[in-house]
Amino acid sequence: MEELEIVGQVVGGKTAELLIREKSGKKIELGDLLIAEEEGALLILQVYDLAYGSQVPQSTRELLAGLKLEGYGTELTFLEPELRNYVIAKAKAVARIEGKDVKVPKTLPRFFSYIRYITEKDLEFFTKPPNPVYVGKVRSGSKKLDVDVYLNGVDVFTHHVVIPATTGRGKSNLVKVMLWSILDQPNFGVLILDPHDEYYGRHGKGLKDSPYAKDSLIYYSSTPFPGTNTLIVNLRSILPSHFQGIVEFTDAQLDAIRSYYNRFEDEWIENIVRGTEVDGVAPRTLEVLQRKFYNVLGVYLDDDGNLQCRSKVFSDTAGQTTTKDIVNALEKGKKVIVDTSRLLDQAELLIGSIIVSEIFYRYQIYKSEGKLEDKPVVSIVIEEAPRVLGTDVLASLGENIYSTVAREGRKFKIGLIAITQLISLIPRQILANMNTKIILGNEMAVERKAIIDSAAQDLSEDDRTIASLDRGEAILSSSFTKFAVPVQIPLFEDYIKATIKAEKDKTIFVG
Amino acid sequence: MHKFAHLADCHLGANKEPVLQKLEMNAFKTALDKCIEEEVDFIIISGDLFHVNIPDMKVTNEAVKKMKEVRDRGIPIYVIYGSHDYSPNETSMVDVLDSAGLIKKIVKVEEKEGGLKLEFFTDPKTSAKLAGISARKAGLEKNYFEILDRESLEKENGFKIFVFHSAITELKPEYLAEMESIPVSLLPRGFDYYAGGHIHQHANIRLPGYERIVYPGPLFAGYPRDLELSAKGEKRGFYIISFDEKVRDIKFVDISFYDSLYVEYDASNKNSIQAQKELLDKLRKIDVGNKLVVLRIKGELSGGKTSDISSTEIRNLLLQKGAIYVSINRYGLTSKEYAMVKVVGEDIPAIESKLFTENIGAVKVSNETLKGERGVRLATELLKVLRREPKPNEAKKDYEEQIRRDALEMLQLKEVSG
Repeated sequence: MEELEIVGQVVGGKTAELLIREKSGKKIELGDLLIAEEEGALLILQVYDLAYGSQVPQSTRELLAGLKLEGYGTELTFLEPELRNYVIAKAKAVARIEGKDVKVPKTLPRFFSYIRYITEKDLEFFTKPPNPVYVGKVRSGSKKLDVDVYLNGVDVFTHHVVIPATTGRGKSNLVKVMLWSILDQPNFGVLILDPHDEYYGRHGKGLKDSPYAKDSLIYYSSTPFPGTNTLIVNLRSILPSHFQGIVEFTDAQLDAIRSYYNRFEDEWIENIVRGTEVDGVAPRTLEVLQRKFYNVLGVYLDDDGNLQCRSKVFSDTAGQTTTKDIVNALEKGKKVIVDTSRLLDQAELLIGSIIVSEIFYRYQIYKSEGKLEDKPVVSIVIEEAPRVLGTDVLASLGENIYSTVAREGRKFKIGLIAITQLISLIPRQILANMNTKIILGNEMAVERKAIIDSAAQDLSEDDRTIASLDRGEAILSSSFTKFAVPVQIPLFEDYIKATIKAEKDKTIFVG
Repeated sequence: MHKFAHLADCHLGANKEPVLQKLEMNAFKTALDKCIEEEVDFIIISGDLFHVNIPDMKVTNEAVKKMKEVRDRGIPIYVIYGSHDYSPNETSMVDVLDSAGLIKKIVKVEEKEGGLKLEFFTDPKTSAKLAGISARKAGLEKNYFEILDRESLEKENGFKIFVFHSAITELKPEYLAEMESIPVSLLPRGFDYYAGGHIHQHANIRLPGYERIVYPGPLFAGYPRDLELSAKGEKRGFYIISFDEKVRDIKFVDISFYDSLYVEYDASNKNSIQAQKELLDKLRKIDVGNKLVVLRIKGELSGGKTSDISSTEIRNLLLQKGAIYVSINRYGLTSKEYAMVKVVGEDIPAIESKLFTENIGAVKVSNETLKGERGVRLATELLKVLRREPKPNEAKKDYEEQIRRDALEMLQLKEVSG
């Protein structure tokens, strides 16, 4: 080992708490990846805490500082100061590399092992998997290494992904980078419920700018651009079950809904809104249901007796194939963005419920017919996931299609990409099913605890590291990675620069 | 106040059976008679006046006579190509009739820096301004819409009508979910009336930014499914629109002039012999006198062959009982014992499309246009071209040459060598 590379030496500690004495002039950072070399193997260590070490008693150090500060001896210094005072880094061994094999370390590095910075060469085992989803570059502390981190999307998406972070840490940037990298891959259909209209790129760069967008990206919005689809859902495509776990109904209201559905089938909502009387349904119950549908769907009758929708998103005439079109697209491996920014929460979740229920139903059938193998994985991006996966929500409204997917989707090749600021609100059983967590910065201790408790790897010492993650910095903890990988996520605009190219087919007009 | 009539999807020449041919032509004549009776100022036919670009001469002759009558009364007929009577080299019957001054093709376009600028055609009597965009096969007109200069169309003042022949994604009926379509956002906004064609079901719908998007549906039937829809109660006809500077009234003119009956039979859990007997017994009890009967047989037989259920026997029975025509749809019928049909669909085009979709993955090609959805679309359309039958008196050489030209055009190839 060349001396220049050495940044420290193991001087003590125990499993998961190795003490490394930093070499003077070197700067070991929180989160740094370091290497202890062994016979035929490398041990990757990760720094999770830093402290001062000194051979000088505390009182002497305080006295020296006082003398200098108060002007008694500005020239005073310690003899051989680099030997007297130094930094002690606490680190844990995260992986043992033997050739191409990556193993969970089960031994300590040799006592007094020299420690060096990690290099790109040490990480040659990071290869591009099949069905690659790009996450970013390996990061050591705040230093970015030129090593790309990809996940195998088929594995990862079926086993759910959760992205916990507070505002401004780059959640949507990360999801955009991931989605951009799979736009050309037909092995994944992705439904993006976009309450902030930030993925397509209405006001700047977005997924629309991909050269693959024309063939693989479909955008639905109540205010569409030329060439994109208007988000209109026909009322007849809504089943009573789509409200399950999303809108609260009393027993009497549920009975009334059943009565209307049994009598009018797919015209049940129209008849409720129109006030058609049905035996056994009290007028008061009907009125309450009308009010609920007005609040959730925005549907009402105008003065001419025509059914209208406040948001224009629900219709009794148009949008008959919207659900089918979206599900067909997902089944063909396309990526579908549904801009729900102009909808109320419940309407957004309801639209998602309609689509997800349909894809879930179809995939159940494919599985029973033995056809599921040939179908692409379908993943659903849902923002503010506790709205449907929160403990309180599930307790008060019962299960919904999103929680069903979280629990059972894996069997049917359907997964969630759940984005949340408040991961602590999601029950442990559901979090345990979410096998990949891409952890961004989080200053809330309660949230960090929930993240650490549910991570695929032991992150019990990483509380401070998570708190100190800057925008774009992440820790990738997944049952499909050998260790929790520190990642630097590129800025979306920078990432896409290389891939954008203008392509225009010439059309010859006949007419 | 002015008036215009909006027709579409006449599909003249679609039907080969004499009974249906007669009904088809009757529908067309009835519609034009109504237009004369209503004293409309002009007529719009938004695509698929004919079922093919060079239709049967007998059909053409009859249609021309009727259209001349309309023209002679000072009622102009404005048309665009539909997906059926489209011609890539502008040699469709529509072009011939346009050149003869019998109808007016209103598509006027200027290609500018990779974009398409449509020019308005102004009806001299009413000053209504019409802009039209023709269809192409396989929904390829979407490319036109994508490069359309919408701004110049939106800026124009006056009473404006946009004429097109495409399915609008947001307005497709559920059973046409698989049909190629364009999102409504590709249409220019702010027109007073959008005269659509291609969807075989009448509809008059408002969407944000689009006051009236109207499809009249076919006058009679371009496909057996149209007969089925009519038998299920779908009204056939066209729209008459009253307007001055705005649309003031719009009414659907129902021209249904024959009785039809829809019968559905589910053969599930019966063997072919039981099903045949039960179906015939059922049909014997139904009054079919003077009706066009559409029979749909579906379900999975528990045993026997699907062909054991004899269409001929069923048809003969119903005709003997006085039916004027019998259309039998059995594409939804399968048998457990003879799993010959592995793909079930609404009709032949749907089945072919599904077969292509399921098998295209097995074809290893590098050209992207031959893969995936685009490949399926191309294969489906190519099949249509290749299966065209020769016209009466069409020389074999001409027929083959035309097929060859159409196929090359479909494949967007100039010539095939060696």
